[in-house]
Amino acid sequence: MFNIIFLCISIPLILGGVLWRRKIDSTIHADTPVPTPVKRLRLISVSVAVLGGYIFVTRLLSIIFGPRESEELGFSLWQERIDVFGYSLSYTVIYTWLAMAILIILALILRFTVFKIPKDEPSGVQNAVELIVEAVGNYTQAQTHGAGEMLASYILTIASLMITSAFLELFRIRPPMSDITMTFALALITFILINIYGIRKKGVVGRIKSLASPTPLVFPFRVISDMAIPVSMACRLFGNMLGGLIVMDLLYTALGTGAVGIPSVAGLYFNAFHPIIQAFIFVTLTLTFINEATE
Amino acid sequence: MVIIMDTIGISLALLSCATAAIAMGFATGKALDAVARQPESSGKINSILLLGLALTESAAIYGFVIALILIFTR
Repeated sequence: MFNIIFLCISIPLILGGVLWRRKIDSTIHADTPVPTPVKRLRLISVSVAVLGGYIFVTRLLSIIFGPRESEELGFSLWQERIDVFGYSLSYTVIYTWLAMAILIILALILRFTVFKIPKDEPSGVQNAVELIVEAVGNYTQAQTHGAGEMLASYILTIASLMITSAFLELFRIRPPMSDITMTFALALITFILINIYGIRKKGVVGRIKSLASPTPLVFPFRVISDMAIPVSMACRLFGNMLGGLIVMDLLYTALGTGAVGIPSVAGLYFNAFHPIIQAFIFVTLTLTFINEATE
Repeated sequence: MVIIMDTIGISLALLSCATAAIAMGFATGKALDAVARQPESSGKINSILLLGLALTESAAIYGFVIALILIFTR
């Protein structure tokens, strides 16, 4: 009943807003600058039309699909598990495979279309890919002061995996990075890389000596703070990704059938900008710790 | 009673988010001062600022994760 009343209110709002806007547009001339009060009136008329459209769409959805019952924030820290050929796998693994498949197929397509005959003067997609690879290589060199090109390829791989898996959230999939086992695995890779690079640069004795650098008294504390690196990196990534996920879930739960248009604006930050920043921070911290171990 | 105590504990854990936000604001303000004084070294300041913000943010994230654990493992 309420829906139909709101629907009836919204249609004159849309029509009134559009007609008002047309009337304002007909009064101004093309070659003279628009005065400020007319600009404000134009803004108001457009907002009225948008408000009417919003009410119309949400009420129409509510009439078609029925009112959405207020649900609990169905949420758990751990992902559900699924049986695949007798193995109990968590959904994180499957979604990570999905992200990997997307990346591999994209790479293969690029390899067999754009990079089959690489041009000397890059253009289009080749230009963009070369720009990304060059930027990552330069950043790695600048942060670690020349620790080899192996690290740059690892960095680009991990960053693209993180960003792809974060964008899976747009398809109503819980992103793999919001599972602490996944982030802990990534942090452990970082920890192993730190020690490998430290030992390769200085040898085992030199690495232990550098841990006991000012006095041997600080050796246990340095070891403990080194051990804390993977824990802190895993918790940071997990908390950030899960925080964005929870905020978006709360928004969807609170808006109910009114979740039209508003989540897309919020998702611009929480689904697009936030994961990219987090991937950048993870990569930067990895490079910084490796640089600390090698110098 | 237990629910009230739980709520107080969760709120106290989330206090770290507020303090970390204040600290991040201070750090950003200082970085802005430095960039205004020496615009030519803005790239270096930017990278140091991001690293510092990430390390400061970890305090907030620890509090957030602890609050989540308190919520979900009752």
